[in-house]
Amino acid sequence: MSDSDSNPNPLENPFKSLSLNESQSIVANEAVERSANGDSVNGIASEEEEENTVGLIRAAEAQVDESSSSGVAWRENSQYEAEDFAPSSPSSSGYAGERGSSTGTSAGPIEEVGNDGIVRADSFSNAGAESAAPWVPGKRHLDEDDASISWRKRKKHFFVLSHSGKPIYSRYGDEHKLAGFSATLQAIISFVQNGGDRVKFVRAGKHQVIFLVKGPIYLVCISCTEEPYEALRGQLELIYGQMLLILTKSVNRCFEKNPKFDMTPLLGGTDAVFSSLIHSFSWNPATFLHAYTCLPLAYSTRQAAGAILQDVADSGVLFAILMCKHKVISLVGAQKASLHPDDMLLLANFVLSSESFRTSESFSPICLPRFNAMAFLYAYVHYLDVDTYLMLLTTSSDAFFHLKDCRTRIEVVLLKSNVLSEVQRSMLDGGLHVEDLPVDPSLRLGSACPHLRQDRIAPGSPNRFREVNVGIGGPSGLWHFIYRSIFLDQYVSSEFSAPLNSSNQQKRLYRAYQKLYASMHDRGSGPHKTQFRRDENYVLLCWITQDFELYAAFDPLADKALAIKTCNQVCQWVRDLENEIFLLGASPFSW
Amino acid sequence: MGCSSSLPDRNNGRLGVLSSENSGVADSKNLRVKLVLLGDSGVGKSCIVLRFVRGQFDPTSKVTVGASFLSQTIALQDSTTIKFEIWDTAGQERYAALAPLYYRGAAVAVVVYDITSPDSFNKAQYWVKELQKHGSPDIVMALVGNKADLQNNREVPVQDAVEYAEKNGMFFIETSAKTADNINELFEEIAKRLPRVSSS
Repeated sequence: MSDSDSNPNPLENPFKSLSLNESQSIVANEAVERSANGDSVNGIASEEEEENTVGLIRAAEAQVDESSSSGVAWRENSQYEAEDFAPSSPSSSGYAGERGSSTGTSAGPIEEVGNDGIVRADSFSNAGAESAAPWVPGKRHLDEDDASISWRKRKKHFFVLSHSGKPIYSRYGDEHKLAGFSATLQAIISFVQNGGDRVKFVRAGKHQVIFLVKGPIYLVCISCTEEPYEALRGQLELIYGQMLLILTKSVNRCFEKNPKFDMTPLLGGTDAVFSSLIHSFSWNPATFLHAYTCLPLAYSTRQAAGAILQDVADSGVLFAILMCKHKVISLVGAQKASLHPDDMLLLANFVLSSESFRTSESFSPICLPRFNAMAFLYAYVHYLDVDTYLMLLTTSSDAFFHLKDCRTRIEVVLLKSNVLSEVQRSMLDGGLHVEDLPVDPSLRLGSACPHLRQDRIAPGSPNRFREVNVGIGGPSGLWHFIYRSIFLDQYVSSEFSAPLNSSNQQKRLYRAYQKLYASMHDRGSGPHKTQFRRDENYVLLCWITQDFELYAAFDPLADKALAIKTCNQVCQWVRDLENEIFLLGASPFSW
Repeated sequence: MGCSSSLPDRNNGRLGVLSSENSGVADSKNLRVKLVLLGDSGVGKSCIVLRFVRGQFDPTSKVTVGASFLSQTIALQDSTTIKFEIWDTAGQERYAALAPLYYRGAAVAVVVYDITSPDSFNKAQYWVKELQKHGSPDIVMALVGNKADLQNNREVPVQDAVEYAEKNGMFFIETSAKTADNINELFEEIAKRLPRVSSS
């Protein structure tokens, strides 16, 4: 790819128009983000415990009844944004009061959390424990239902229900016990639908209730995480996509035959798939960037993998995808077949969260919703080592033995050309580290794939150079960045390092990026080219051109001019490394 | 034919890695047999297969997606070897419509239920009927009551299963993938019942 050449403008220029006033929050290009400063404060407040969701729904119902303007967006084109971020109206704070009282009645002495932003001490210690133990997919809190205090305190609920109000999926609690709650959600949706309108979301105090209607399937998110509407709606879209990946859109026919059709048995055994997807909403940038990321590899190594995949793709395989965890090693599509990054995300999530794929080779029907939502493809899945797996997709249900042969051929080539050992090495070395950002352009190396660099001290060595920098991050206080290549549909993000060590800090940054992304892509006021904002957590800088999007986080005290300079250096660094960090050339994406 | 080993050497790691079984090589001394496992979800189909193929038992339940493919070769006393190519199907309802994909052309069907679950026994009978209608006419069918180690929670009487199996021309055995009880016996018995081609 040569998209880098076409983009000579350094970042300085767009920022010339900015005031260099370093007050709390500087927002480029006519205040993209609403009250950036206040938002970021809420961003922290959102880490506190959840409020009473039942109260919230009551609030929502009440608002529906009144057709109150506060926080309710009815029309597709209505100005939800202004309402969304309006300060709490008297009516919504009234509901907050009601929440408090209803919690009081049912909660009794267990209730520890005030409704006005008091952070419970143990929520931080919990967070610490969470970062220590690896996350395990699967449904938790199955014993809960909408009468449980703990259930109501969950910060982010996801529900899937049928148009007749039957529960299909709930992130927390047993779906079957949530029939009444589902019916309430259904009532809200159909009440608005009966008026010839569509409910997009309801805001009630700190909570947002987001609705997504997909034919006979309704998806609802109830969240107090302060994530933007667009982000939460995107998450509902992905949950729906994951459902289609398992069942295809032909599941709609079941509802045509019988409106009261119970869909839960059809999703039997898939809890881990959904919980893992929902977990990825708080760590995997692919869920909002609509791009995939590659495992850093020497150009020739990736070429070798691509060549053998191309070879099998020519023999009637629709897609051949070689991945390591969530990162792509190489992928190839048959002629004219293109794979959407969202489909890749959902497919990888499905395979990674279904333990049985690790046990033995499998042949399973799956649907790629963006490719063809109505039809099943057949996926041959085989793990080549603990983290590396091969997926061969075909339209033919009889192709198992052919695909098995293909896999054998691929495996032989990958072993011979050392691709698998290079993959394992790259996994150990990790991706880009902000500490390694070359500051002096004269020191730039032509090929600087991290693990190919000669001066690098081996991972695990106690004398690692970067440990000198602990607590500082990269140059000019650079903590982290994400670079998304628009033409490639790929992104690269730096590894998390000090001071972003805990999973809670990483999640917070991730949410900040998500917000930044939403504000930059806002249809109402955007698209925007640059944004610089400072709050007490970070300096965030976003820069969007025709070719790429750059999101960077700096120390909150970082100097603005230096931060901008550093962003230019990051872009140059990424361009210098593009052969190693991106999959170039044999891309199946049709532009 | 591949790296599959005979009975005494059970723990031979990942099977199928080196084997390339697209060719239908089989003679009277070395048979290749397609075997499919069917049954309700959670009855222990995968556990039976993993016990047979790898000698392992993993108590954590791993829901099978679509179908897994494994193979294992056993040697009989008359010095013939039989390579089982095993399709371990998912028990979930959404895969029921796809079952023909896996049982088509199968020489052996192992229908599994859980002796502590009458529902799974009913489901097993559903699969037997389906196979009688749509399976190969000369298919060898085995009815397997798994989780025999849970004697105290038994809800499907042995007698019921014996009678049902007799009526439908199947052979019946109770197994425990957990304790390995009767697992080898199951596959050895299947091997004995396979129709032999009398050839040179």
